Order: sequence, then C-alpha cells, then structure tokens
Amino acid sequence: MQSGTFHSSYSSDMGLRPYWPMRLRIILVIVIMLVFPWFAGRYWLNLANTIGIAAISAIGLNILVGYTGQISIGQGGFMAVGAYTSGLLAANAGLPMWVSVPIACVVTAVVGALFGMPSVRLKGLYLAIATLAAQEIIIWVLTHGKILGIGESLSLPPETSNLFGLSLAGSTDFNFYWLIMGCLVLTVIFVSNLFRSRAGRAMVAIRDQDIAAQVIGVDLFRYKLLAFATSSFFAGLAGALTAHYRGIISWERFTIETSILVLAMIIIGGLGSVSGAIYGATFMTLLPALLSNVSRAASGVFPSFSSYLPYIQQGAFGLAIVLFLIFEPEGIVKMWRNVKDYFRLWPFSY
Amino acid sequence: MLTGRRWFGTMGALLALTLLLAACGAAAPATAPAAAPAGEAAPAASGEPIKVGAIFDLTGATADVGTPYSQGQIAYIDWKNANGGIAGRPLELISQDYGYDVAKAEELYTQFIGESVVVFSGWGTGDTEALRPKVTQDKIPFISASYSAALANPAETPYNFLTAPSYSDQLIVGMKWALEDWKAKGNTDAPTFAYLINDSPFGRSPLEDGTAFAAANGVATPLEVPSPRGATDLTPQLTQIKDSGTNYVFIQNVSSPAALALKNAKSLGLDVQFVCLNWCANELLVKLAGPDANGVVGTIPFSPAGPGAEVALAYAKEKGIDFGGADSTFVQGWTAMSILLAGVEKTAADGKELTGENIKASLETLNNFDTGGVTQPITFTSTDHAGSKALRVFQITDGKWAPITDFMTAK
Repeated sequence: MQSGTFHSSYSSDMGLRPYWPMRLRIILVIVIMLVFPWFAGRYWLNLANTIGIAAISAIGLNILVGYTGQISIGQGGFMAVGAYTSGLLAANAGLPMWVSVPIACVVTAVVGALFGMPSVRLKGLYLAIATLAAQEIIIWVLTHGKILGIGESLSLPPETSNLFGLSLAGSTDFNFYWLIMGCLVLTVIFVSNLFRSRAGRAMVAIRDQDIAAQVIGVDLFRYKLLAFATSSFFAGLAGALTAHYRGIISWERFTIETSILVLAMIIIGGLGSVSGAIYGATFMTLLPALLSNVSRAASGVFPSFSSYLPYIQQGAFGLAIVLFLIFEPEGIVKMWRNVKDYFRLWPFSY
Repeated sequence: MLTGRRWFGTMGALLALTLLLAACGAAAPATAPAAAPAGEAAPAASGEPIKVGAIFDLTGATADVGTPYSQGQIAYIDWKNANGGIAGRPLELISQDYGYDVAKAEELYTQFIGESVVVFSGWGTGDTEALRPKVTQDKIPFISASYSAALANPAETPYNFLTAPSYSDQLIVGMKWALEDWKAKGNTDAPTFAYLINDSPFGRSPLEDGTAFAAANGVATPLEVPSPRGATDLTPQLTQIKDSGTNYVFIQNVSSPAALALKNAKSLGLDVQFVCLNWCANELLVKLAGPDANGVVGTIPFSPAGPGAEVALAYAKEKGIDFGGADSTFVQGWTAMSILLAGVEKTAADGKELTGENIKASLETLNNFDTGGVTQPITFTSTDHAGSKALRVFQITDGKWAPITDFMTAK
C-alpha cells in the first residue's frame, strides 16, 4: 500500500501524470471520446460539441481568473470578437476556416490585452467592473456596427467551413465533433504545460501575492497582459468555432449572461484547474438539458402540473448550483479528488 | 483522511453524480428508440401520431406574450385531435420552454428533430435566425412568431414561412397611417418619428426598411431608442424622445415593456402618438397600462374577431384555458398553427408521404387559405413565403381595440 507521494527523479516530479491510475484514466477518457460519436445521436453530439466549445472558453477564463487571480466578466464579449472576426473574414473575404479561425484567435488576444490594461491599476471587484465595460463596449460596437458592415446577424458561407478539402458543413454535428475535440485536446495540453513554464509560474505568483511576485522580479504589467491575451486567445477560439459550427451568428449569443455562465463554470468546476473547467462546462451544459428532459417526462405523468414545470426547472438549476457550492466550494474537481483519496485507502480509510 | 463532515460531503457529491449519470442514462434510451424510426420515412401505419415540434418562451424575456401564444398552439392541436386529427392520424405536439435563449433553442430543435417531428413552430427572431441553416439542411417546414422580412425569401430560406405581414411591412403600414393622420390634423410639414424598441434582433428587425420608407416620404431619420431588457423605468429613454420633439413613436417590443413606456410617458407629460407593432398591440397592453393605453394605435395582423377567432375562443372557454385575457395572442398562436398544419393536411389529402419536402410543396400551393377572418386569406408560392401582406390598423378606445382603417399593405 502506498503511504504517500514520493518522487525519486526530477522527471517524475515534473510529470503531469506520474502514476498508472492516472495514465489508465486518461486512456479511458480518450477511448470514450473516440468511440462516443459513432454511437451517439445528433442530440448528444450537439450537447458534446456545446460542452467542448464551452470547455475551451472556460479553460481560457481559468488562466485569467483561476491561475492569475484577475477577475473577468468579459469572456462573452471576447468570444464575440473571435466569432465576428472569423465570421467577417469568411463572409466578406471568403477565407477558409483554417485561415480565419487562427486570425480570429490572434485578433481576440490583442483585443483582450487591450482591455486588460486597466488590470495594472485595478484589482478585484474594480477590475471586474472594468471587464464588464469591455463586455458592454464590444456588444455595443456589434449592435451599432453598421460601420463595420455587420448586420443584425451574420451568416457564414458554408464553403468556408471546409477543412483541408473536407466539408464540415455537411453532416455538421459529427464532423465538427472531431474538430472541436481536437481543439479542446490541444488547449488542454497547452494550458497544462503553460503552468509548468516560467510564464505560468509568474502568473500563479501574481495570484498568490502580487507584491511578493514583484519583489522576486516578476514584471506584473507584462504577465497580467499576457494572461489576458492568452485567456482571450482561447475565448476567440471558442467564439470562432461557435461561428463556424452554427453557420450563423448574432450578438445575442455573447451577452453578459454568457460571461457569467463561463465564470460560473470555472467556479463550480474548480478555480485554477484545467480539468475543473471541463467538469464545470460539462455540468453547466448537461444539468439544464437533464432538467428539461426530466420535466418533459414529468409533464406526461402529471399533466395538470405541467404549466409550473418550466419554473421548477429554472429553480432546480439554481438550487443545484447552490447545493454544489455549499457542499464543495472548491468545485467538482475537489469532489473528484476526495473520491479518489477515499478509495485509495479503502477499506482502511480513517 | 476523510473526516465525518468530509465523508458526508463526498458521499453527497457521489450520490448527486450517480443520480446525474443515472438520469443521463435513463434519458438516453428514452430518446434513442424514438430516434430509431426517424432514419427511414416508412409509410406510416394509420393511427401513428404526426409529430409537431415547438419551442415556447414561458420564462424568458418575452414570456408575457409567449405564454398565451403557446396556449393557442397547444389548444389548436387538442382541438384538431378532438375533431379527428389529420387523415385519421392524431397529432402529437413535442414542445418545451426555451426561455428566449438561442443556445437552448438549438438544443431543443436538435432533440425534437431526432424524435422525427415533420414540421416545427419557433418563436423569437434571434433563434429563428440561428436555426435557419439547420432548418434548410433538415428540410423542416418552419413557422415562427418572428415576422422578420429576411425570412420571406425562399431563395435564401426555403423552409421558413411567414404567417403574417413582416415587421417591416407592419412598420411601414404604421408609418403610412401616421402620415395620413398628421395631414388630417391640418399639418403641412413632415412629422418626426422615433423608434422605441426591444434591444435585440427582434427590435431592430424592421428599422432599416422603416427608415428607408420614412426618407422616401420626406421624414427625417427616426431616432432609435432601445429599451434595455428587464428595465423597470423607461423615463430616461422617453426623456430622450421628448427632447427630440418627436410626434409619433413606433414601439417594437412585447406588451410589458410597452405598457411601462405608456405609464412613464403619462407621468412625464410626453405628448406623442404611440404606434405598437404586432407584439405589443394586444389586450395585455390594455390590461397592464389601463387608461394610459387609450388612444394608442396598433398594427394587428391577427384580429381576435371573426368566425375563426370565435372557434378558438369558444374552445378555450369550454376547456377552461386561462390565457390572461390576451385574446388576440391566443388566437394568433392558434391560427399560426392552423396555417402550418394546413400544409400537412394538404399533403396527406394528396396521398403523399409526410416529408418536409412534400409539406413544403403543399404549403407553396396554399391559395387563399381562409383563417376565418383572423387574417387576410393566406397564399404561399414557391417564390414568396410571405403568406399575408395586409393588415388593419387598430386603436384603443375605452380600453378596447377597434379597427380604424381597412386592410392596408406596405406597397
């Protein structure tokens, strides 16, 4: 029996997944991801893709909020920048997806860094309000965007959603599953490794104690902006994927509610954790879907009750979130860790 | 490692997760068998229900009119079933509340398509727009409560059908009336217009066409004032309108915010003529704004009078359906569903299979379909999916909407 975590080499100390149960689990997850789309119907593929896009955005926000400690409620706005940049490039210049999406990510990163500038002088709630301004400014520009040639909604020509000759616009859900999951996997690999690098550790130092970080030589301005840019890069990716996946975009998809939803995902999933962001995105997408299925089933059983079900559904969503936060304020990732800890010593846990 | 409290928390979480997984597992097979026969459209056995998909807004930003509209649609299906269904087959409505959320609308649409619905009834402008590519790809005849002019051109949106004059046409008819009214009052100069709109694609949908019409008639570009979602006071917006010296304010919003605007305007002493488009021109507005609603003009595409409306209202009375006095919205939901199902009925009567393509073709041959006086007779063609182009302008006198013009078109 294992009585603790002991590393006997630097490489094992630095390893992301040093133990066999971890490796087994990740293999299991990959196998499930590979097998899932062949058995799932369109409804479940749609949910999986929604989760994938939300997870990319949540991981991006986690870089900023969870790892660097800079609160942002502008993620929806940054997603809109990505979606519209990619959409406009596709609709007006006819650029294919593999060109427009990376450009959109870079543009969003620049916009994110720009709106991150107040973070040099502002902290905590004050910064949150500054990012709220970013959100509102971006949406205002989009709704009054006749200058930019943006109508109320933007429809993307399907031929721009081709990836190296393979049309993704045909049987959308299945094809996009692979693209979205591919992007998600790359995001996970990049962000997991980011926090083993100098830049990532500097960000964590800023979160833990910014004055101390400055004293040990971390350039606060530079790394805060870097955190904003990296975070927005992934928001842009999520937005651009949404644009191509849905084929049509309107700003209604990227309102303040979206920003708060993404923030809620990382709080419920677990701040400062890549897997937490994925759990949070999964939870916040599946719970309403589950509740609406339960309510559909219930309306068949209690027809007289059915007019109240939509309200109960909304209430139950709120209640579930509150209960989660009461029982485990550190998020789903902590719960999972508790479960693992419990079974590691089972049946001799104390 | 796990203390008592910890243990409780962990087990609680495990239980919650297990329940979640179990429920997901339970939900999966529930939808899977339903999806199975969707693949091949085998000739249906008699008695097998015809599935109709719908999303309603019962909890979101437009729930005030969304609820009576949904009740109208549900009631029509029930009524149709009580009268023998379509070609001996019952109708089954698969519907859910989507809370005016585009992403939720997409999720529910995908789910219902998986359960092989043959036609779909949507709601808002944003989600109807968002579903456009999917509807075209899936070949599902689609109506919605959004009358955005962008949806009437079959070259772009081959499966969307408009059951009422578009918002653009409604606004232009309202402006036509305003210009005549201005002249009738003995003015020789041009009036000033303003828009008070819902801050969404729904609100902005008709503005471009309206402004073009205004410009062609020598009216200056109308002031555009969005009212924020969930606002409890519109005084700042109305002050802006007051300062601009506007004569006619066109409201493109749902009843509750429109009623709020009327009340605020009264206390502000704002002397303008309000013109409501479809979604605030209903009984709910009168109920909410009370005496402040008197004199308001509305472009009502679905009139709550005539034999068609009587059938709907009598059925509601018989079944004890409480739609909060929103007669015209209830009748609107009922009538819109009846138009969509007229396409299905025609397809079945012609002995064709109930596929999206066949139903679309049948709808496109619908010629002067009589809605019992609720709308002008509906005609769709393969080049024009705007079913009705004329409406009457109504005005509130003593708390009742009464027609003040004959049927008018935007042309």
